Amino acid sequence: MSAARRRRVVLGLALALPVVMLVAVAAGSVPLPLRGVLGSLLHGLGLGIGGALPPSSETILWVVRLPRVLLAAVVGGGLAVVGATLQSVFRNPLADSGLLGVGAGAALGAVAAVRLGWAGTTFLALPLAAFAGAMAAVLVLYALSQALGGGTLHGLLLTGISVSALAAAGTSMLLVATEEFRVKTVLFWLAGGLDGRGWVHLRIGGLVMLGGCLVLLASARVLDVLSLGDEEAAALGLPVHSARLGLLALAALVAGAATAAAGSVPFVGLVAPHALRPVAGSLGRHLLPAAFLGGALLVVLADLGTRVISPNVDLPLGSVTAFVGAPYFLLALRHADARR
Amino acid sequence: MPGAVLVAVVALGAAPAPAPKAPPQRIASLNLTADEVLVEILPVERLVAVTAASDDVGTSNIVGRVPPSVARFRKADLERLVALSADLVVVSEYTDPDFLYLLERSGLRYHRMEGMRSLAGNRQAILDLGTAVGARAGAEKLVARYDAVLADLARRLDGVTRPRVMYWASGMTAGGDTAIGALIESAGARNVGAEIGVAGIGNVGAERAFVADPDVVLIGVWPGARKSLVEHPLLSRLRAVREGRVVEMPTELLVTLSQHAADASWYLASVLHPDRVPRSRP
Repeated sequence: MSAARRRRVVLGLALALPVVMLVAVAAGSVPLPLRGVLGSLLHGLGLGIGGALPPSSETILWVVRLPRVLLAAVVGGGLAVVGATLQSVFRNPLADSGLLGVGAGAALGAVAAVRLGWAGTTFLALPLAAFAGAMAAVLVLYALSQALGGGTLHGLLLTGISVSALAAAGTSMLLVATEEFRVKTVLFWLAGGLDGRGWVHLRIGGLVMLGGCLVLLASARVLDVLSLGDEEAAALGLPVHSARLGLLALAALVAGAATAAAGSVPFVGLVAPHALRPVAGSLGRHLLPAAFLGGALLVVLADLGTRVISPNVDLPLGSVTAFVGAPYFLLALRHADARR
Repeated sequence: MPGAVLVAVVALGAAPAPAPKAPPQRIASLNLTADEVLVEILPVERLVAVTAASDDVGTSNIVGRVPPSVARFRKADLERLVALSADLVVVSEYTDPDFLYLLERSGLRYHRMEGMRSLAGNRQAILDLGTAVGARAGAEKLVARYDAVLADLARRLDGVTRPRVMYWASGMTAGGDTAIGALIESAGARNVGAEIGVAGIGNVGAERAFVADPDVVLIGVWPGARKSLVEHPLLSRLRAVREGRVVEMPTELLVTLSQHAADASWYLASVLHPDRVPRSRP
């Protein structure tokens, strides 16, 4: 992979993302004029150009759409960076945040908040409970893997599967005991979506996700050394155990915040790094920025799809990313078979 | 002269009364109960949106009552609410608080209907909605009929032997503090769900239901409801099922929390106590 081509890919993604985001803030159940949206955004940024839209359109743009699209980008970017990180740490191209029990833990937290009635009465209760559930699952994973397997990769993987299964069982038990009218809230959350997300979600979740991603990007060289293998990394002077734990903790933090903000959004952490690895290369310092942009682009487009494919029905974001991700993997599998 | 009035007010130590807030003129309803109330107490020109469920036969008690010019909402769509310039959005007790936060941030006022877990709660919610939309008199009129139906029913059911009725929906039942529990009790029956300690709409399971041995099983008219009962290996052996005492209640009556809840009570009472309560209210 030539450096020039890699730069072109990253530049292309970096240019495509704002264009797609602009289209995404203009489209929805109430279409806004693209030129007017651009003018309002430039005006709102204090650039002294452009102008305001009519009041109702301004409200739709600035209160509803813009934070939602920005959050979609941060969630997508965060999940993709987490996916790329975990694939390097586990040296497995199929690794994603599910291995850490993040999704299952977040689901358990969210369902508990609904079952206890907090989600219906308290602002931000659902995402905060989901985040707490995700972090609790990761802590349990860490404690168990230390106690049982000494924190090896193999032990972490198996413990992660067990913790996820336990959390999923707890979620099912709570769901069965939850009143029917509350179940719909849970199902929408489990299926993923950004409906009803505003600036406050972006401020809280975005800070955690962007902060975590920045630290992961800054740790890309550590990731590259780790991906050589434990013995090689140790030979190069890297404290393998603590470095791996640090990266996993950061990945869990970002994935937990993303899941808390948007529910379950599958395949982003798999598809974006997998699709970009052939063009951006496997080195973390190249792959992570490209994965962030690719993941952001994917989720912004998927969220746009949920809003324009069927304006009257809540299409789950997670279903749209799965509809894109699953065929992509099948095609990639066929392509790989053909090359053998 | 105005100065003199001001001096007089200050001298009396009283603040001037605030100007009364104008009633909302562009009302959007995001729950079916509100649709059913608003269509009775407001001129239709003041409604800018109702739920799409208001057109669903078998769900709504106001099918055909809202003209097509009024927008239909299948979900809480904030963008469309803003575009419609709604000056009051009526939401339910279960509307997501994060959505309500965004409603406020968008400058939209909302009224939340709550407390509808009893007949008294429904009554109060109707009055509160009437006040919120500036149509208190219309709401009081609705409530007066509601009270009259329930009073008539209570009179007819005085001293009646109350059968034990259990609501059943895919393993769930209505316990205490529920609208369906209130419906069962107002129709001259005892709510088995409450008797066996279920709180809210809760899971009861086939075995507990079997042991509870209700006199009557109450289900909604929805696809597969009766079939799942009569074909269930255990529930099909329930005494009530074997003896044909399964009441299928029109779903629009079973789930309503509006003034139609009184009609629902009347309907169920007429099935449980046909000797006391005729199907149609005289």
